[in-house]
Amino acid sequence: VLLSLADELVTLLGHEEEEAAGDLERMVGIGTSTETPEDPVLARLLPDAYRDDSQAAGDFRRYTENWLRSQKTEAARTVIESLGGKSVEIDEDQAQAWLTVLTDLRLAVAGRVGLETEDDYDVLDEMSSSDPRRPTWDVYLWLGYLQETLVEALL
Amino acid sequence: MSTAPVEVERPSFEVGEALDRPWVTIVWNDPVNLMSYVTYVFCKLFGYSKEKATQLMLQVHHEGKAVVSNGTREQMENDVARLHAHGLWATLQKDE
Repeated sequence: VLLSLADELVTLLGHEEEEAAGDLERMVGIGTSTETPEDPVLARLLPDAYRDDSQAAGDFRRYTENWLRSQKTEAARTVIESLGGKSVEIDEDQAQAWLTVLTDLRLAVAGRVGLETEDDYDVLDEMSSSDPRRPTWDVYLWLGYLQETLVEALL
Repeated sequence: MSTAPVEVERPSFEVGEALDRPWVTIVWNDPVNLMSYVTYVFCKLFGYSKEKATQLMLQVHHEGKAVVSNGTREQMENDVARLHAHGLWATLQKDE
């Protein structure tokens, strides 16, 4: 489950590579996107840095979004690599990659099942076992359990 | 004190204003991130003690947001980028 979710995350973050950027811009990591992503999940993974200043938010995005995408993609690849064997042993650096990837996956899954407020949580948690969103919700809870266990080991 | 009439631009005003009103990084509440994880991120990124990080996390949780750092605009942009890399919902603005 984790492997396919992490793969999906890499795919989600990977598209929309800068098309029009020149070589220099690409070399120093400056992108072309200045707009908030339309996909709500991507918009949450790559949020606006300014609430009331779309110009500043666009500039910030242009200079940091590629860096942010590559940080998240690299973390997802670290997790994918550590999932090779029957049991998983990770060091502290890998654990940090795991934590950020589990966060991104939980944000993505939350977006897919419509968890936007704390009240939504109670509604979702009480849905019946026949609800089509139930399997996704169970994955969300399981990712949270994994993350909680890992954070407690590190704190 | 000289009263040179040509001195139209006053950059010192902007500098003074920037010192009086530093920039702040704000973390906003979201229903996804675990309380323990948010505490962990505050400790790791800002070097805060577990007590201080827990207090800030609780402020985010109960009040919907908290100022987690302050400084120059560049420093705050850096903090916001690092918080985004950890999946927290953060913005920067001039201190009010």
